[in-house]
Amino acid sequence: MSGERVSSSFRDPSGSLFTLDGAIYRQVNEEYKAHYDQLIESGLYRELAEAGLMVAHEEVAASPLGVQGAYKVLKPEMIPFISYPYEWCFSQLKDAALATLEIQKKALDHGMILKDASAYNIQFLRGRPVLIDTLSFETYVEGHPWIAYKQFCQHFLAPLAMMSLKDVRFNQLFRIYIDGVPLDMASSVLPYRTRFSFSMLLHIHLHAKSQKRYEDVIIDKQKTPSKMSKQSMLGLIDSLESVIKGLKWSAKGTEWVDYYQDDSYTAEGLQHKLRLVNQLLDMVDCKTVWDLGANTGVYSRIASEKGATTVSFDIDPACVELNYLEAVKNGDSGMLPLILDLTNPSPRIGWANEERMSVMDRGPADLVIALALVHHLAISNNVPLGRIAEFLAGMGSHLIIEFVPKTDPKVQKLLATREDVFPHYTQEAFEADFGTLFEILRSEQVRDSERIIYLMRRISQ
Amino acid sequence: MMCTLIVLCLMVLSTSKSYAYIDPGTGSYLLQMIAAGVLAGSFFVKTFWRRIKQGYQRLLSKRQTK
Repeated sequence: MSGERVSSSFRDPSGSLFTLDGAIYRQVNEEYKAHYDQLIESGLYRELAEAGLMVAHEEVAASPLGVQGAYKVLKPEMIPFISYPYEWCFSQLKDAALATLEIQKKALDHGMILKDASAYNIQFLRGRPVLIDTLSFETYVEGHPWIAYKQFCQHFLAPLAMMSLKDVRFNQLFRIYIDGVPLDMASSVLPYRTRFSFSMLLHIHLHAKSQKRYEDVIIDKQKTPSKMSKQSMLGLIDSLESVIKGLKWSAKGTEWVDYYQDDSYTAEGLQHKLRLVNQLLDMVDCKTVWDLGANTGVYSRIASEKGATTVSFDIDPACVELNYLEAVKNGDSGMLPLILDLTNPSPRIGWANEERMSVMDRGPADLVIALALVHHLAISNNVPLGRIAEFLAGMGSHLIIEFVPKTDPKVQKLLATREDVFPHYTQEAFEADFGTLFEILRSEQVRDSERIIYLMRRISQ
Repeated sequence: MMCTLIVLCLMVLSTSKSYAYIDPGTGSYLLQMIAAGVLAGSFFVKTFWRRIKQGYQRLLSKRQTK
């Protein structure tokens, strides 16, 4: 029996990740022994795991993987849903950045340092950011600069500054630049006034200039070792922490953020819809729920309160921001709000298109919620109902879905400025197209509206 | 230019004792060296000022409780 190597695990020679029988294992290679031992014996691992800053693991006595060169094999706690920085809202990326710096400070206290600072090494577990790469540490040698400084600035500071000071949608650059936002790009995009902030001047503008100036310089490695005192290192971390804490973004003024304050439902209709979704969720034994077009997560929270690991997707970064802040405030450990454009969902990216998973690779969920969504896909994006049914059938085995008919004011609004080329968009056609892939278990009209909510079960193929 | 040459001469990217696998980037590495003194100084002033502030606050709260 042998494990299957995780496709994204190839850069770091310290070890590698494997999966076996649905569990994940991390091999620690012999050459990383001294650093791993220090992580454990210095008490750093325990402190980080107890603080919820690092994923906990157990050492597996005998290697179940059948691989060579292993010093140890670890079995880390599973992350219920892997997410990526291009799916995070502003505060998620900011919290991940601050968690990374907190880990760095604790590491320095224990004579170690982060040898990488990738945003992909942070995941959300029980609602909070945790480091998942146990092999991210090495022994700190006083005098040496921080190897991962460039990576930290590219993965955290530059995108956060661009999101905060220019446009929150700049986090989508992560989909193009696998190793973070190029600093010369950040420097050219950021407002001129950022040059008058010492930290921004140093970490972004001078950093970009320095990269450009020395890109072709070959350094003589035989010269006297360089010196960067521990005080300087702490100053560097403190400077990064201060500038990141100072970056803010306020979620307001987008199309969707006031959705529940608009006139889509009467007060009674909204209460009825909430009760109905609650009842339908009770009819399915679901451990994982994906709520598509979740807005600020009103319905996701019902699923999360029932104990389901709930991924709450929305296209609007402001909605996801509010959803995340609410989840943090409530200590809602089952919720994971994420940004997702369903018309262009997260693809596989990275080396050989295998480093980062597509959203479909991360499924299927036990149940998918798609409320007040179908008309946007079918009418705003011209996706035929049958194609929507196929897409949703690939995402989960059960479906709570709302059909919004053409007579609804929201659909009328979508059709107001364009020709109605959707003769097939009817309740009968909807039921027929979804009926080829799903069995309709229950349907009910939302009070004071013509909208209908269905519970469906995917027909086994 | 002279300053750069001096920094370059002092500079070594030797990572033989570490287990680094990512490229630190020459410019990123050098920048930390160049800014090291300023970073250490500002951190010293900041922590020093914080201690004075904390000490003053402790003194103030002691007087208020008396």
